[in-house]
Amino acid sequence: MSAPDSNIGVTFPRDHRETVGQIEHPNFKIRCRDLNVFYGENQAIFDVSLDIGSNEVIAMIGPSGCGKSTLIRCFNRMNDTINGCRVDGSIEMDGEDVNSNEIDVVLLRARVGMVFQKPNPFPKSIYENVAYGPRIHGLTNGKEELDSAVESSLLRAGLWDEVADRLDEPGTGLSGGQQQRLCIARAISINPEVILMDEPCSALDPIATARIEELIDELKRNYSIAIVTHSMQQAARVSQRTAYFHLGYLIEVGETEKIFTNPSHQLTEDYITGRFG
Amino acid sequence: MTSTTDGHIVKRFDEEMQEMHDGVLQMGALARRQIRQAVKSLQAEDPSAARNVIERDSDVNELDKILNAQVEQILARRQPMASDLREILTIEKIATDLERVGDEASKIAQLAVHFFEKQSAVPNYQLLSEVTKTARFVESMLQESLEAFDEKHLDRACNVIRMGSELDGEFRTSIRHLTTFVMEDSRTIGHFIDIVLGIRALERIGGHAKNIGGYVIYLLTGRDVRHEPLDQLLREISL
Repeated sequence: MSAPDSNIGVTFPRDHRETVGQIEHPNFKIRCRDLNVFYGENQAIFDVSLDIGSNEVIAMIGPSGCGKSTLIRCFNRMNDTINGCRVDGSIEMDGEDVNSNEIDVVLLRARVGMVFQKPNPFPKSIYENVAYGPRIHGLTNGKEELDSAVESSLLRAGLWDEVADRLDEPGTGLSGGQQQRLCIARAISINPEVILMDEPCSALDPIATARIEELIDELKRNYSIAIVTHSMQQAARVSQRTAYFHLGYLIEVGETEKIFTNPSHQLTEDYITGRFG
Repeated sequence: MTSTTDGHIVKRFDEEMQEMHDGVLQMGALARRQIRQAVKSLQAEDPSAARNVIERDSDVNELDKILNAQVEQILARRQPMASDLREILTIEKIATDLERVGDEASKIAQLAVHFFEKQSAVPNYQLLSEVTKTARFVESMLQESLEAFDEKHLDRACNVIRMGSELDGEFRTSIRHLTTFVMEDSRTIGHFIDIVLGIRALERIGGHAKNIGGYVIYLLTGRDVRHEPLDQLLREISL
């Protein structure tokens, strides 16, 4: 369902649960339809349908527990690691059902990378953090190619200049912001197609946050990015589309500028103006 | 869209918004009083009352500065979004238009000083009656626009836009009446030109009231209607 633009002042009341706005993207990378997710008996996501576009940044916002992280974890089947988690509905990437038994989950997670809230570099050197993925996936031939892949990833993550002369030092010795960029370098070293970011800046200071946001803007040229964030200002700054979730429902999705200046659903309005509760 | 919850989680934010809202109404009330007093000073042939209006314009300007400072502060500190952002932008624009209304009221008061202090011959009452008539109309436009803002009333905002179209007709009619009068007695040409300038100032006040109506429509719908034809606008708002 979409809110017709020609009807000035049309608003959907708070109890309206069907998604408002454009769930489709003309150039989608991931297509999710009628998704329901359960943790045991508890349902966390209700009938969510949403496209993730190619080379776009889509922000997922909503109060704690609304299902944002659960949703993005479905895209690379990270929810498989949770006992009792059940996913119904369809998630397709490039026409393939990601939940199919024929899908290689390891390969899926290489194509759909993830960056987490708390930076989690491996307890290895900076070099090895980035080299690990290409090595185990057999993406490079020989040391020279591997060195080149590491340098390229660190360059694209905006970290190369800061670590080029100390690649043998432990990744855990970097600052929080540097560690997060290292994790991004690690994710992109295996040439993913989609990058999922679950509150990637919430543990970082404002300057480190700004660097990550700048990086996200550059990365979207080559990747599709879905970012979960509690900061509406961040969602407004970095994304082209924004999806608002409430109690497991996708309430509204649309162009970020519209969502933050003139949302169509009362719940969205209440949340982003701080009147939710 | 206005919230149906109990208000902002941070109560101070709602208080600040209310303060600015009240500031606009205060400034609007002062601007309307300036118009009334300026026109009264003409009717009463009272240059001293006119000088009071001219002096009090600085009060209107001061309120404009206060509101603009509040807007700047709240944008920096609160990063408002959606309807809050639109309301704050609307307040800023309304303050600018009301400041201009104050300036135009001063110009009308200047006429009273010019006629009754500096000149030996006062204008004919028939010339002045056109000013009074037009002033009543534009003051009602300004009242309607401010009440539309206060009540967040879409109908009343659209009504102001309609009145703006009527004002064009009223202005042309006034000019015709004045022209007829001057043709009958060419000695009044000097006063005619001054009166036309006075009516022009009132017409501009009407224009500012119409702007305020447009800002209220933007506040309520998110749509910028400043350059849209009235009939198309009303069709789309389904009124």
